[in-house]
Amino acid sequence: MKPFRFTATINGRPVDLPVNPHRRLLDVIRDDLGLTGTKEGCGEGECGACTVLLNGRPVNACLVLAPEAAGCEITTIEGVAPEGGLHPIQEAFLEAGAVQCGYCTPGMILAAKALLDKDLSPTDQAIKTAVSGNLCRCTGYIKIIEAVRLAAAKLSGEGDAV
Amino acid sequence: MKKRGIGVGCMFYGIGNTGMPNPAGAFLDLTDDGTVLVLTGCADIGQGSSTVLAQIAAGELGVNIEDVLVVAGDTGVSPDAGATSASRQTYISGNAVLLAARQAKEVLLEEAAGIMAAAASDLCLRDGHVWRAGEKTPLTVKEVLAACRKKGKLTLGSGWFNPETTGMDETGRGAPYATYSYATQVAEIEVDTETGKVSVLRLVAAHDVGRAINPKSVEGQIEGGCLMGIGYALLEEVKLTEGRIGNPRYAEYLLPMSLDVPEIHAIIVEEPEITGPFGAKGVGEPALIPTAAAIANAVADALGVRFYDLPITPEKILAALSAKGDGSARMGEIT
Repeated sequence: MKPFRFTATINGRPVDLPVNPHRRLLDVIRDDLGLTGTKEGCGEGECGACTVLLNGRPVNACLVLAPEAAGCEITTIEGVAPEGGLHPIQEAFLEAGAVQCGYCTPGMILAAKALLDKDLSPTDQAIKTAVSGNLCRCTGYIKIIEAVRLAAAKLSGEGDAV
Repeated sequence: MKKRGIGVGCMFYGIGNTGMPNPAGAFLDLTDDGTVLVLTGCADIGQGSSTVLAQIAAGELGVNIEDVLVVAGDTGVSPDAGATSASRQTYISGNAVLLAARQAKEVLLEEAAGIMAAAASDLCLRDGHVWRAGEKTPLTVKEVLAACRKKGKLTLGSGWFNPETTGMDETGRGAPYATYSYATQVAEIEVDTETGKVSVLRLVAAHDVGRAINPKSVEGQIEGGCLMGIGYALLEEVKLTEGRIGNPRYAEYLLPMSLDVPEIHAIIVEEPEITGPFGAKGVGEPALIPTAAAIANAVADALGVRFYDLPITPEKILAALSAKGDGSARMGEIT
């Protein structure tokens, strides 16, 4: 298949590279750009490990064809933290003990970011719904939900209050 | 109609099998800058064993956990620690690391005794300092380390632990485990008698872990086990047809997701195990074991019908209610 010119903004930086149009956004992110923080789990849109933000919306990168993402603003886990530090959501995941094997974590953090970018005082039900597309087999989700609650408090300037 | 029920599940689970050899080893090196390097074959698959082993080494050597570097599961350099399975690593590799740390500590204490003109048996290490007869002294572990190095003395330790292999008699009986973990879980559930759906509202999970080396990760293990237990009780079923798995996808093999999470209250019960490192046993599998039983008992409490095979799916519930002649189940409308 003839490659097309894939241009997009990934983590705030412009990218411009030839890509075969049948490739998935996940392949472009992991294999062409080397951003391996995005994980492939099931490859069929069920587990959410490959969640990235496409124009701020969480999507399964395994279900998005590269041409569909052309021209979009894409955020992967590598684009979440400020240089040399951690994003408050990442800090909250550490503090709450929300990471066990870690495979679901990049997707969880992006799903949480999509929620918190819009709503800084989500209900527990809203948090559960926001990460309902992301499967975790280790934590029982309790500490993940706790971490998102904690991140919301951090981001809305309530500091350590949970 | 919605019916509620409460059920209890209890279990005990062997930690450290003794029917066959079951060893783990560890190497430890205090390097010049005070870093404690721990080499272990124990693979951390997310349960937090590397953190726990670092805590054990730090605790025994009286240094900060930040000073401990664990190199885990690298077959090029680490000694065998057996499998990360059977809830054994905290107990078995934990003991191996503890023994390795103790050996290196003896070198430090001997050196400190020389510096202070004291008996090594009066000394201990805590908070990065040497303590004498229960009192903190100004002498630091790093200073003792430097004194060792000045003489060319290395501070190494190695340890291995194997719960005594007892074997089995000719009838296949014996003492199969070094110790046991105990747990009780209570489930509160709600059954919708029209749809057959069971919702778990609340789980209380009390686990005797000997001693929780890392309470937060113990809690995480308990919560994760409870949710996996909900899947085992209500959702997860490998459908086999002539050896082929008929539901090899997440779309068909259902796992609990965030929306299925009930209130979970993890209760850590600490009854120190004398043979465990700092009294610890294991919690990995125990967290999952009583959950399905508690839920099945709660379903029986709610409906007066007992289920003997898992998962307890809505179809099985409706069929059972219909067989019982409970008018609230309207099978015809659903199928």
